[in-house]
Amino acid sequence: MGTENLAEKAQILIRSRLCSPNFIFKPLSDSSDSNYSKLKFIISSSITEACNNSILLLGPRGSGKVAVLELVLSDLLEEYPDTITVIRLNGLLHSEDNSALKEIARQLCMEHHLLFSKMASFDDNSQFMIAMLRECGLAHKTVIFALDEFDLFAQAVVVGVSCRLDADQLLEKRVRSRFSHRKLLFLPPSKEDVQRLLEHILSLPMDSSLACDYAAEFNEKLQSILADKRFKEIISNYLNSNSTTNHLLRFLFIAISNMDLKSGFLSLENFKAALSSIQRQPKQECIKDCSILELYILVCMKRLEVREQNSYNFSSVMKEYKSVHDSFPTSDYYAQNVCLRAFEHLLQRELICFADNRGHTQSIEFRQVKLVVSYAELQEGLKSYRSCPAILLKLIDR
Amino acid sequence: MGNEESPQITRRATRLSSSTPVTSNEVETEKITKPYKLTVNDFVFGGEKLSFNDLLSSFPARGNQIRELLRLLGPVNSPMLPLFVYGDPSTGKTSTILQIFRHLNRPFVYASCLTCYSLQILFESVLDQLLLHNKNAANGYSSARRCVKPSDFVNFLRGDLTSVIEKLKSLKKVGPNKSAGKPSGNMLYLIFDNLELIREWDKSSTALSFMFNLYDVLKMHEVGLIFISNTSPDTYYSNMGYTEHVPVYFPEYTEDDLRQILMRNQPNRKLYSSFLDVVLRPFCRTTRRVDELSTAFSPLFRKYCEPLSDLASVPNEEMKRRLFSHFRPHIAPSLNEIFWVPSKSSTEAETNKDTTLKGSTRKSEVGDHFAQIDFHMSTSAKYLLISAFLASRNPATLDASLFDSTGGSDSRKRKRKASEKSIEQKEVAEQELLMKGPGTFPLERLLAIFQCITSAADSFDEDEHENDDLRAGGDGGLMSDVLLQLSSLCNANFIIKGGSCPLEGSTRYRSTVSEDLALKVARSLKFPLPNYLYRR
Repeated sequence: MGTENLAEKAQILIRSRLCSPNFIFKPLSDSSDSNYSKLKFIISSSITEACNNSILLLGPRGSGKVAVLELVLSDLLEEYPDTITVIRLNGLLHSEDNSALKEIARQLCMEHHLLFSKMASFDDNSQFMIAMLRECGLAHKTVIFALDEFDLFAQAVVVGVSCRLDADQLLEKRVRSRFSHRKLLFLPPSKEDVQRLLEHILSLPMDSSLACDYAAEFNEKLQSILADKRFKEIISNYLNSNSTTNHLLRFLFIAISNMDLKSGFLSLENFKAALSSIQRQPKQECIKDCSILELYILVCMKRLEVREQNSYNFSSVMKEYKSVHDSFPTSDYYAQNVCLRAFEHLLQRELICFADNRGHTQSIEFRQVKLVVSYAELQEGLKSYRSCPAILLKLIDR
Repeated sequence: MGNEESPQITRRATRLSSSTPVTSNEVETEKITKPYKLTVNDFVFGGEKLSFNDLLSSFPARGNQIRELLRLLGPVNSPMLPLFVYGDPSTGKTSTILQIFRHLNRPFVYASCLTCYSLQILFESVLDQLLLHNKNAANGYSSARRCVKPSDFVNFLRGDLTSVIEKLKSLKKVGPNKSAGKPSGNMLYLIFDNLELIREWDKSSTALSFMFNLYDVLKMHEVGLIFISNTSPDTYYSNMGYTEHVPVYFPEYTEDDLRQILMRNQPNRKLYSSFLDVVLRPFCRTTRRVDELSTAFSPLFRKYCEPLSDLASVPNEEMKRRLFSHFRPHIAPSLNEIFWVPSKSSTEAETNKDTTLKGSTRKSEVGDHFAQIDFHMSTSAKYLLISAFLASRNPATLDASLFDSTGGSDSRKRKRKASEKSIEQKEVAEQELLMKGPGTFPLERLLAIFQCITSAADSFDEDEHENDDLRAGGDGGLMSDVLLQLSSLCNANFIIKGGSCPLEGSTRYRSTVSEDLALKVARSLKFPLPNYLYRR
């Protein structure tokens, strides 16, 4: 009971850490050449020097751009509490002029009880923002404007956040020049950073409500896991596909959820299980979900494609199915309506899809379809299917 | 038979209760959820274990998924990354999740993109539930808030969520949760079902990336997001803002799982098990969906039991064999049909003709007992059906030669010519026919063919008095009668009204009848349809 309680507390603690980006990006921002320091320097200098500045933060999705920005902003808000107004806009939400302007006005009014009459003088400035917002909105990127408000005309810091490295190329020339060279690239964490991050996130604090000896034991076990070669393999295997921080967090989240509350400690198995549950192969799963008849239809379509018949529909698939059955008679020959139902299942599962959006008046039988699984995927899927008829494997091989 | 019934019913019940906007709060939750709580969550602390078992036993073959979900949801008040639950239809995603929440006794808001069929309705439904707003006559069935844009939604949502979570927190302070009805914890979960439907909405790409980014936009730790989708995450990949979530996969049931599920709630398990021995394997080869299998099995089981006098008896080997030999002839035909028409077995067909006929269009290859099927159509409707079929099949340019009395030989010549063509060309033509499907035709052509074949039929056999009737109808009030028949054929989906031709401006029709059915109808009229078919 005691350990279970402690373990639950520890689990909650780590889970809440994983869900709060502020905590995660703290240690990565210590060094002087980190994006955090650079960003902070740029923004704070423009605050102190009262100049106009724009910065672009670029990096893949989930690399912590917004999190670092938020960290910087919260620090700066502490440092200069009266001189900063932060206006957060999101390309997803405010990609059109109307809602953006409204949102800006709303946030301004909320924070500073700004009178709406001031909006008119604000207008020129916001026009510029909107122009850029529209461009960034096209890319559907989060756009955050940190607007320093004490002189509305001269002193504005615009921070744009995007996961497109070519985001500045999307901008108008006039706008682009404002971002001239102030681009901060967010790179995925290095190996050492990952290691540091893991320790930072997973180890329990010694001075919290958790019992000291439990925390010590937990950390000790954790260290041994982190040092384990197999663990490093798992992590590098996982980060090979996508090495951004958020990706790592998701993995850790599953691992933490897998933690055995009875023993109260993390184990290597937790991470292994997390790896297998997060690295999914949806197409393979879909093929495994198919019934035998659905597999037959897939194979028939594949055969049609191999024969370079580039447009086909249900009727031509049925013809192929019939000819297959004529040459290799099995018991798996069903009436057209049953096949049509199987065909619809495949459509629902999106293993196949309609080739075009036209022809809604036509019935399904005559609309052109195409496969959305590759030859290799289908072959693999058939091989791993539990009781796949041998005939299907033979049929797909030629 | 009704194996899937109990989860289905409860699911519907929960869906109902979650759509009535009262799930997420103190007093109301108590009221609404009490009936379930009594069975699943009667005890607060000691009952935990039992209720978990109940949860497991109500979803056979879903133990792994339930455990995984429970782990991911975590202990009370633990923040959560968004989950993405996916799997085929009727694999129990929604019902499992809702039952898990009943088991955990945690507050949640459920919104399905199926019932909330646009972004605005989805937003307003979520907000209504949060605000405990009930649409009724007093407020003119309007939502609490009008909310069209995602930006407004986020602002409202943030405010409403904060207030609800505050209430949950204060609730906890007032009394440590001793009563069963109180929601545990101050996390609030938002469940979005049928997410794949959003892809078909207007502005689907922005809507989808908004939904996927909702967690990052909200930045609230007390909110858990769960997305349920029929299609796998890879179908959402696009170049715009797909954020990955923690995946939870519900695989399709295997044969053994299906047996377990179908065996639930059976009064005579032994008998049903011997029935499943016979049918489950062959049916599993065509479909693995519980809903389809259970509807297919319920009439079959009745048939299986027919020779039995006592339904409660436990079958022995000998009896099983006897039942099987009685039952075997029914398996193959039932494998080849997708729905059951109750009137079919009783030959006096008194039921509505639409289903019978529609069923038979689909079941065109089933075989002999369909040959005897009686078409409950008037003779003129039959002729109309045939002429529509001909109009769809034959090229319009050949009408004159086919229906002209002198044209018979001409068409035969053409036929020979076609057969002389190289095989390759023929194949190409065949391919084209398969791809294009039935052709369209204007009303005038249909009526012309109709008149031709009715007059031709008269000359074939004079003494068929039906034809006399028809001729009387055909000569006199032809137009009105035929048009009426045409519209009823359209309603029965034998003929589809297509879009109008851009040049002529008249509506064009298309026949959906398969060749087999057309031939059968023709046979019942003794009409020589094959003579009129243009063979390519």
